[in-house]
Amino acid sequence: MEYPADLSFLFMNPTRVVYGAGSSAEVAPELTGLGCRRALVVTDKVLAAKADIVGKITRALGPACAGVFSDVPADSGVHTVNAGAELGRAQGADSIVSVGGGSVIDTAKGIAILLTEGGSLLDYQGFQLLSRRQTPHISIPTTAGTGSEVTYFALVKDHENRRKIIFGDHHIIPDVAILDPNLTVGLPPLLTAATGLDAFSHGLEALTSAQREPMSDALGLHAIRLIRRFLPLAVKNGVDLAARGQTLIAAALAGAAFSNAQVGLLHAIAHVVGARHGVHHGTAIAIAMPHVVRYNNDVVADRHRLAAEAMGVDVRGMSDEAAGVRAAESMSAFVREVGLPGTFREVGVPREDLAACAELAMSDGAIVYNAKPVAAPSDVLRVLSAAWSGTT
Amino acid sequence: MGIPFFSEEWIAAYKAAINGNPAYKTAAADWTYGVVALVCKAQPSAFPQDVGIWLDLDRGVCRDARLVKVEEAAKAPFCITGEYARWKQVLRRELEPIKGMMQGKLKLKGDLPTIVRAVAAAQELVSSAAMLDTKFMDE
Repeated sequence: MEYPADLSFLFMNPTRVVYGAGSSAEVAPELTGLGCRRALVVTDKVLAAKADIVGKITRALGPACAGVFSDVPADSGVHTVNAGAELGRAQGADSIVSVGGGSVIDTAKGIAILLTEGGSLLDYQGFQLLSRRQTPHISIPTTAGTGSEVTYFALVKDHENRRKIIFGDHHIIPDVAILDPNLTVGLPPLLTAATGLDAFSHGLEALTSAQREPMSDALGLHAIRLIRRFLPLAVKNGVDLAARGQTLIAAALAGAAFSNAQVGLLHAIAHVVGARHGVHHGTAIAIAMPHVVRYNNDVVADRHRLAAEAMGVDVRGMSDEAAGVRAAESMSAFVREVGLPGTFREVGVPREDLAACAELAMSDGAIVYNAKPVAAPSDVLRVLSAAWSGTT
Repeated sequence: MGIPFFSEEWIAAYKAAINGNPAYKTAAADWTYGVVALVCKAQPSAFPQDVGIWLDLDRGVCRDARLVKVEEAAKAPFCITGEYARWKQVLRRELEPIKGMMQGKLKLKGDLPTIVRAVAAAQELVSSAAMLDTKFMDE
């Protein structure tokens, strides 16, 4: 593993992480530690109805719970953020506790902006635009995937203009992440697998990104190691708390890795295929990942070797290029092992739309950081076509 | 003897450099998304006050370039703000602007995907600025 002599980077990871089965009960002292008194709980309707998840957290907060905003849909939008902020203001909230997956946590990041800055979310469209800390935010993920509990990104849909808005700002990184594996035991096997592969890809793309650096490498590689070992166990036995816990930790590690080193072509593809054809993000990631590895292999084969080693694949005696190909093969096998589909054809993506997907992927922010520069939509189409048919 | 950074003379030379750069013309042929404003924050002893540059860009041509107040610059569809030291790094090609935005060294107001789609044009805007013989007041 070599780094250039003129290496320079900025690494930021300010989130306090609290881990342990039952650790969500620590939410009240964590809130006090932030100097806050009244938290708006942000979640979705399904979780809000579960007494053993949101109910447990509101009980733990006691009088410090300013109210529950449970209107976050799977594909959260600007209106949802504005409505959540309105409720927070009306209830006198000075902080936010988000309980849910990536959409919930990203919505909470948007609410945090509006509670501090006022106005509408669209007023803050941009990158690194904010100049001060936002409303204190404790994130409690109920999936082990997006890593949003530690990242500086928020993706929110602008339904009126039919587009997703990316917010990226160091001031919206949650202050605290409470990782409680008890909260992920109800996740069905396929969703466990898909979200786990998303986290795996964060580690992988951080490792190969054009902005890669040693600190994110360390986080990304350990995330790959943990997910390869524990995700199959969590998929097979959803109540295996040790496996659930390790995948939750891995998702946070990988989140911190890609929040600094960024992601690449794989995410650009998954964003577009997800938006146009409703393919779950983690599933799209799982399908395209081996093909993106093959595309990038002539530029970052040495990095793919590291990923293969972290997966426990024996690549001794192989050239970097051969080890990279072996990494791609091992990823395909891993995807199948956890029960996910291996081609876009299987999930109903029409072949005739691949060219449009390739065109759109070129304007996704992630593509700038891909290991190998993506010069034209034809490059993306080549990867998409291979992922559609499953050919190598 | 270079041209003082972000002065009216520098901005006029920058406009000429953009329009004289064939690589920019090609890379920005599809740019129809309006004005890009650049704001440089004041730095004691080097750059006395916050200043903006208004770049009216359209299909590979810089139609207008002028010095504006920060309040006016903020009204542009895209506004990139940086400290004086950061702009120096950009002009010396030590800081790639999109990487700078991701890392918080520069601030972007506007739609990131539009800027990403125009990454080659953005690079050529920087190349055009780097062609100028710029005088930095703290040197």
